[in-house]
Amino acid sequence: MKVSLAIGGQAREIDPDRSGAQIAIVEPGVYSVLMDGRSYEARIEQSNGLVIVFIDGHRFEVEIRDPRRWSRQTGRQRVEGRLNVVAPMPGKIVRLLVAEGDTVAAGQGLLVVEAMKMQNEMKAPKAGRVVSLRAREGATVAAGEVLAAIE
Amino acid sequence: MFRKVLIANRGEIAVRVIRTLREMDIASVAVFSDADRTSRHVRMADEAEWVGPSPSTESYLRSDRILDAARKHGAEAIHPGYGFLSENADFAAACEAAGIVFIGPSAESIRRMGSKTAARQMAIAAGAPVVPGTHEVLGGPAEARAFAAQFGYPLLLKAVAGGGGKGMRRVDSGAGLDAAYREAASEAERSFSNPDLYVERLIERPRHIEIQLMGDRHGHMVHFGERECSIQRRHQKVMEECPSPMVAARPGMREAMGEAAIRVARSAGYYNAGTVEFLVDAHGDFYFLEMNTRLQVEHPITELVTGHDLVRLQLEVAAGEELRLRQDDIAWRGSAIECRVYAEDPYNNFFPSPGKITRLTRPLGPGIRIDGCVYDGWTVPIDYDPLLAKLAVWNGTRESAIARMVRALCEYDVAGIHTNITFFRQILEDEEFREGRLHTRFVDEFLARRKPFAPPPDLESIAALVAAFHSTRNTARRESAPAPRSRWLEMGRHEALR
Repeated sequence: MKVSLAIGGQAREIDPDRSGAQIAIVEPGVYSVLMDGRSYEARIEQSNGLVIVFIDGHRFEVEIRDPRRWSRQTGRQRVEGRLNVVAPMPGKIVRLLVAEGDTVAAGQGLLVVEAMKMQNEMKAPKAGRVVSLRAREGATVAAGEVLAAIE
Repeated sequence: MFRKVLIANRGEIAVRVIRTLREMDIASVAVFSDADRTSRHVRMADEAEWVGPSPSTESYLRSDRILDAARKHGAEAIHPGYGFLSENADFAAACEAAGIVFIGPSAESIRRMGSKTAARQMAIAAGAPVVPGTHEVLGGPAEARAFAAQFGYPLLLKAVAGGGGKGMRRVDSGAGLDAAYREAASEAERSFSNPDLYVERLIERPRHIEIQLMGDRHGHMVHFGERECSIQRRHQKVMEECPSPMVAARPGMREAMGEAAIRVARSAGYYNAGTVEFLVDAHGDFYFLEMNTRLQVEHPITELVTGHDLVRLQLEVAAGEELRLRQDDIAWRGSAIECRVYAEDPYNNFFPSPGKITRLTRPLGPGIRIDGCVYDGWTVPIDYDPLLAKLAVWNGTRESAIARMVRALCEYDVAGIHTNITFFRQILEDEEFREGRLHTRFVDEFLARRKPFAPPPDLESIAALVAAFHSTRNTARRESAPAPRSRWLEMGRHEALR
């Protein structure tokens, strides 16, 4: 069965059953690959809709594009329309860096959240206007809480 | 020697101390919060006592509860580890008052070194070089301006009660001074309830090199040489090495730094383990920065290179024994590097990544040491510092130690949460790093200049193949059983449905 995917910005079609490689599952998420006499070990993590592959200390992000499996676009890829900025874990809002109505560039810092004794800047997932800023300085937030929206 | 010791800490450092206690046949008492009931240190200790709910202010920082636990279990001494109560003079005094030995310096030494301005004055009195700066608390921005008129820009405003880079501002010209002063003072007020500032000349691209000391209660003190801790992110050390490539290349520098450090510590009547931190400029001139009155996170690399167990020495000195080591007994062999493995995502702005560890494989083999508290199936709590483990390697030369660390990082597999393991590899393969051209802004500059990842093409093909294989297997599995929860995946889906 062919799988469409993107790796390193390139689209590829791969049929894992006709690759000439011998793939063994060592334990869940760990694969041993023998190909052309070479031995590789690959470890898999799933993150934000992407498959992350670690081989030999290198990290590869792979986006599986097969429409039967990943019919919905994930948050990371969708850039049109309104995008929410969500607290990925419980924490406390330390500082707001923008105000509602501000125009922001992609990657610009929106607010600072403290979690696990560290201050972390939440960045704009895309360029646009801050249409809603629900976060308040000093407030504690739960994981998944919407902090801001960019449109 | 003590028969029973309580460890007023958690995580990897509690585990580290328990290991030496066991080797010395001393019983260990762990303390734990709600979040740590099944943490490694509790599992390893001989005895354990609950000291409160998860927030550290209600558990690990509650000196009354910790002292109660020590009394209840009959512990004769308390090892504070680092962080939490380790540099709290009142806690050290309370231990003494309760007839329990605090494994560290006297409350008085902690107090004298705890104030940066007092420590600096002590260093000056002891004849140790210091960065030009005000000796007293600034009365306002005008005094900082007067200092700049004498010593020039750039300068650094720092909080008197500061640490970890909080309440600190760089000022490059007179124009930015007033605003920087306001910001630093208000940040210091928020962080330490003390807005007082002082000012220093800024040393451009300094190295951070520190000297490990150990002294007994009979006036004898030795140094264990230096550690280079210039690889920092947000003013927090992430990778350390011993010896420092700069010190190793300059005859006499280690001795000069060691002697200066001992002079400063002696003037504070210091005993037990301590570390004197220096800023070092490009010419190798060093300046006293501060003294940490406890065991340091990065102490294992000194142990690897000198062959001494610093925790064991701490215990012996605390029990009143004389330090038998003379300075000539301490020799430095080979090279050691330590990486601080954090639960954080280097591909998402180093965001903390707590959660359940679903798979764990640690590096093994020659020259590897791991000080950790992590195990397969453990949930990294959100309540504390995200340090999972310290991976340290030893080898005969710096070059071979770097190669060994790269090898070890490749073997290290932590799944279920994100870690900074791959980030270390990128630094270790950097040309500037390999040549030993280190300074405290190294990581910031590295992040800005690093080239986009160019993977070996054969590995990229294998990665694509495995991802494809995995996605077909995973679909099949999902049809019969629900996939394990992933906060990140859920977030992505949540996003997509909006």
